[in-house]
Amino acid sequence: MDSIIHLETSSISKAFGKTRALDNVSLKLKPGILHGLIGPSGAGKTTLMRCLMGLMSPQEGEVKYFTDNERRPFSKLRDYIAYMPQTQSLYADLSIKEHLEFFKEMYQIPSDEYEKRKKNLLEVTRLAQFEDRLAGQLSGGMYKKLGLMCSLLRNPKVLLLDEPTNGVDPISRREFWELLYDLKKSKVTILVATAYMDEAERCSFVHVLESGQLKNSGEPLHLLEKYQVSNFDEIFLKGSNNVI
Amino acid sequence: MTFFKWSRTFAISRKEFFHIFRDPFTLGMAFVLPLLVVVIFGYAMEFNQNNVEVSFLDLDRSQSSRSLLEKMSSSNYFRLKQVRSPEEGMKSVKSDNSKAFIYVPPNFDKNIRSDVSEKIQVLIDGTDSAAAGVIQRYLIQITNNMSIEVHSNSRVSSTPFVSRYLFNPELNSKWFSIPGIMVVIMAILCTLLTSLTIAREWEKGSMELLLSTPVKPLEIILGKLFPYATLNIISVVTVYILARLWFDLPFRGSHIVFLFACFIFLAGYLALGLAISVILRQQLTAMQAAMIIGLLPTNLLSGFIFPVENMPQGFQWLASIFPVRWFMIVTRDQFLKGSSLVQLSFPIIAMGVASVILVSIAVVKFKGDLD
Repeated sequence: MDSIIHLETSSISKAFGKTRALDNVSLKLKPGILHGLIGPSGAGKTTLMRCLMGLMSPQEGEVKYFTDNERRPFSKLRDYIAYMPQTQSLYADLSIKEHLEFFKEMYQIPSDEYEKRKKNLLEVTRLAQFEDRLAGQLSGGMYKKLGLMCSLLRNPKVLLLDEPTNGVDPISRREFWELLYDLKKSKVTILVATAYMDEAERCSFVHVLESGQLKNSGEPLHLLEKYQVSNFDEIFLKGSNNVI
Repeated sequence: MTFFKWSRTFAISRKEFFHIFRDPFTLGMAFVLPLLVVVIFGYAMEFNQNNVEVSFLDLDRSQSSRSLLEKMSSSNYFRLKQVRSPEEGMKSVKSDNSKAFIYVPPNFDKNIRSDVSEKIQVLIDGTDSAAAGVIQRYLIQITNNMSIEVHSNSRVSSTPFVSRYLFNPELNSKWFSIPGIMVVIMAILCTLLTSLTIAREWEKGSMELLLSTPVKPLEIILGKLFPYATLNIISVVTVYILARLWFDLPFRGSHIVFLFACFIFLAGYLALGLAISVILRQQLTAMQAAMIIGLLPTNLLSGFIFPVENMPQGFQWLASIFPVRWFMIVTRDQFLKGSSLVQLSFPIIAMGVASVILVSIAVVKFKGDLD
């Protein structure tokens, strides 16, 4: 499939009891670019990600999926959307190689294609020499890279990453972002949720989420100008009154 | 959108095997628990009575009374203790030293040769009704033999019937309890181990990643059934070997029929554990639920200890819902009687129906989302 996929949410809301995790969020993910979803903890980033991945259904509004501007049901496009959850979701007692083999079967990737992708992924993540190491014994950065590899194995058109660099040292974080830049070249639509405000500036397009509401969307520099601040931390530090 | 794929099911199984073999707890449960339970139950669950102290007072002191007492003491079941008065005899039973008191009246010898009814009085400690029943059976057997001998020498012939126990001639309680233990172990292991597996994936967060792949609930459920079924078959074989070699149990049925029944039973109980896991999603609560749902009916309603036939009608219906009640029949039969598949078709079909229902519940209740 060579067509471009893009996603939209039209005023979706999701509440857990009295907490409104998502409140009337309308967001457009333009295809082929690197999007950032920024907001402090508890802003609703994970819930939004789960709604986009079809793991949760919003109580109001809907998530729409398009290929070449034509609306398609989620089930048709599911195989082209990959997701990397925020929680440690790999099997601590399985090695890197065993993870890749497991997900190869989950995604039903043909063997020759798998070998090619695996070789390429191990190379770019520089994890080839750790192939037999158990996930539980990997460093934070390596663990995240393995998670990314598992989602990239299916060669997705859309990649949803929930706080992929959370708790990772600065060097590994930079490496991780370099991996994402490489992906951008192959026209993959990427959405990265992050609580690290400095990472927002690395994205081509930023969506600001706070208390379940989408406060703003735009190019990073454009947003900074709009808020008249020098970096993204200040947007939230200035208090939510300013985030309008 | 892809449909059910065996290759995905096998990948899940393979992953589950890795988990099992890299987790000492699961392996220990599967191999050590059955051995431990069989040995403990095999020795502790003893219905046979040996060397029970019985006090006696022989006021007759005739040839007959002496030969009766001799028979009792030579039977290995009883250790006789002479008392001097009926009061002393009662006291020995009360103080729990003796399980019974046998009073032989002065005219015993004369009476058994005539038709006078009251011949000998036995007082058995009834606090433990099971033991009391066994003691009574032994005593009756001995006195019956005695009267046969006495009357064969005389003109009077009575002896209404001579009984012989089929399938378990010595009424060895181990022969009865060990096949039962096998069933109990399988039921516990199945529910306990599988109740943890899906809950673990929810707790550790791996379910979120798994659900984002195109994997289907049926593939996950079946994929998780295979490794645990294998594990349980291994523990069945362990118990089987122990039962045959250590406890000298016979096996009169067909191994193929028994294995077939095992698989049907396993599928149901593994699915029961999975259903618990799917619904509760937490390891601790799932384990507790598995303990209650897996353990209680297995011990109380399966016929393992209390015969289902003696239960009130309502409880019999309740017991019939649990596949373990049917598997108990099949297992005991295969060890001791050896009926054919056709003769056992009812319990096997009943088990099969329950298993299909349980697998369906596990699959249907499996929600493919995080809501």
